[in-house]
Amino acid sequence: MDSEVGSIASELQKHKGDKMPRWGMVIDLDKCVGCQACTIACKAENNVPHGSPEEQRLRREIYWNKVIAVTNGKYPQVHTQLIPMPCMHCDQAPCVTVCPAKATYRRGDGIIVQDFRRCIGCKYCIVACPYGARSFNSKEQEKKEYHRNDLPPDRSVWGLWPFPTRTHGVVEKCTFCFHRIDQGIREGKKIGVDVVPACIEDCPTGARIFGDLDDTRSEVSSLLASRDWIRLREELDTKSKVYYLLK
Amino acid sequence: MGLTFSRIEGHSRNFKILLVLFAAFTMIGFICFMVSYISGHHVLGSSSIIPWGMPITITIYLIGLSAGSLILSSLTYVFGKEEYRPISRMAVFLAIILIFGAMIGIALDLGRPEKSWRLFMFFVLNNMRSMFAVNGILYGGYFLIGIVYLGAIFAEKYKFIKMMGMIAVFWAALVHMGTGAIFGFIATRPIYFSPIKPFEFLAAAMVSGLALLMIVIVAVFKFTKKRLNQEIIFSLSRLLLLFIIVLTVMVLVDKLTHLYSPDREPILWLLTGPYSWVFWGLQVGLAYFLPIVILSHPKSGKTLKGVMVAAFSVVIGIFGERFALVIPGTAYPLPFYPGKIEGIWGAAGSFPITPIESFMSLGIFTLMGLFFLLGLKNLELLPVDEEGE
Repeated sequence: MDSEVGSIASELQKHKGDKMPRWGMVIDLDKCVGCQACTIACKAENNVPHGSPEEQRLRREIYWNKVIAVTNGKYPQVHTQLIPMPCMHCDQAPCVTVCPAKATYRRGDGIIVQDFRRCIGCKYCIVACPYGARSFNSKEQEKKEYHRNDLPPDRSVWGLWPFPTRTHGVVEKCTFCFHRIDQGIREGKKIGVDVVPACIEDCPTGARIFGDLDDTRSEVSSLLASRDWIRLREELDTKSKVYYLLK
Repeated sequence: MGLTFSRIEGHSRNFKILLVLFAAFTMIGFICFMVSYISGHHVLGSSSIIPWGMPITITIYLIGLSAGSLILSSLTYVFGKEEYRPISRMAVFLAIILIFGAMIGIALDLGRPEKSWRLFMFFVLNNMRSMFAVNGILYGGYFLIGIVYLGAIFAEKYKFIKMMGMIAVFWAALVHMGTGAIFGFIATRPIYFSPIKPFEFLAAAMVSGLALLMIVIVAVFKFTKKRLNQEIIFSLSRLLLLFIIVLTVMVLVDKLTHLYSPDREPILWLLTGPYSWVFWGLQVGLAYFLPIVILSHPKSGKTLKGVMVAAFSVVIGIFGERFALVIPGTAYPLPFYPGKIEGIWGAAGSFPITPIESFMSLGIFTLMGLFFLLGLKNLELLPVDEEGE
């Protein structure tokens, strides 16, 4: 596992010269229509199980990406803001600090990943995450939906998925579709243009943009330089890498 | 010293009935655990919004009882207060059983309990910045220290006992402060986040440990028909009153700090929301108010009955205190964005009490009860009446 991450990291370094990229996402709130395509695309891409309405009500359904609606004001002066929320992949991630088993860690390129093989299911990271980005897999999932190796991340296409077996009793979260990114880098594709995470690929309005925050020529950098942006829960100083462009 | 200890015979009918009853409930608890392990935690009350449920509540409760019990044994072995000698062996033994129960509680809460060995790979596979991993050292060490301490007491090596006693007390304090730090260090959860939490936990440990010890002493002496010097219980009850007052002050300071503006919504929600009955009824009512009234009352504080009511009230109330921390602390919705968050993402979590979880939790207690009974039968824990039986 470690050597695998190491080899990916060295490949990333070869690709970018000396400097590692720092992947980040920009979400344009002006363009988001709240269609939840990102949520569904994420579930399809990452094989995240669907839950029943009852499970959703009890907050047992697993979401790697969610879209929240926030209302301000009183009728007739009401404003509802739609905010898609993947994992923020904080540079100072509270979940990484509290994980006792090193099951969640920050990769060299800034992506916070969750290793299901190390995770003991103590749920401390869920307690510590300020964004509610983590879900506990509390149910043995149906085989056909969950354990299929031919569904993405498909090992024949994407190379070795680091977590070959999924299981209940562990915590799951968004990975920025790092299997796509790693595969794209191996194939020499341009990340953020040719290869993007599934939620970005499926966004009908192009509200989400992915790229290297440290690369001054990337689209995310130019957007952040030209538009007003916020990050969620800035008061906790998590240095999240998901930026929101204001309306 | 002239005080000898003995084991109980264990032939009485009551003893056997109790043994069988405890064993049966332990088995039921184990079956419930296997159900939750095989089919997943959806049979329990916890969810992604309230990740920690009953097992963690019970765990920190038991750790508190254990640490309190062990610290009290030091009254005899470190500070040389001879009047407590008849009960101090039992205090140490109880502390070991309780920490064992607490570790079982953690294991039951883990989604993958078969990987719990990973918690003990200190500095190798563990992230030592995690309070959980740090507490792994504390709990494991505490268990070992407790066993060596008890061994030394049985071997009656007095110098060694005193040294072990001092280490054990120091370690027990650390264990409980570490447990408080698990909650107190989490900035995300406003109800948890507090620098006073480690000390509050320590005070709560002393209070609940002392109260439980008093109950166990009176019960065991009654069942085995041994004569108990009631002055022991009354002097312990004065100590209990002192600790309760200290704890009340700490909780008051903690809640007042959070109540002070700005950012008072979470604590207001705790004090007036759906879990307010746990806070006001169990925590404040049973753990602080009732025992303070009973113990400081000139009449009821001087009767064994009154003291026992106060002790029971404390033991139940401190459980309420744990519950009022663990469950509402995470149930309060996270403020992702200013404004009213619609739907499930802005709603407070609910914690259903499920039969599987309840029996699993009961199983932890009966398992400890089983060990305690077997300990009474096989170890020399109880003092022999000086006048002979």
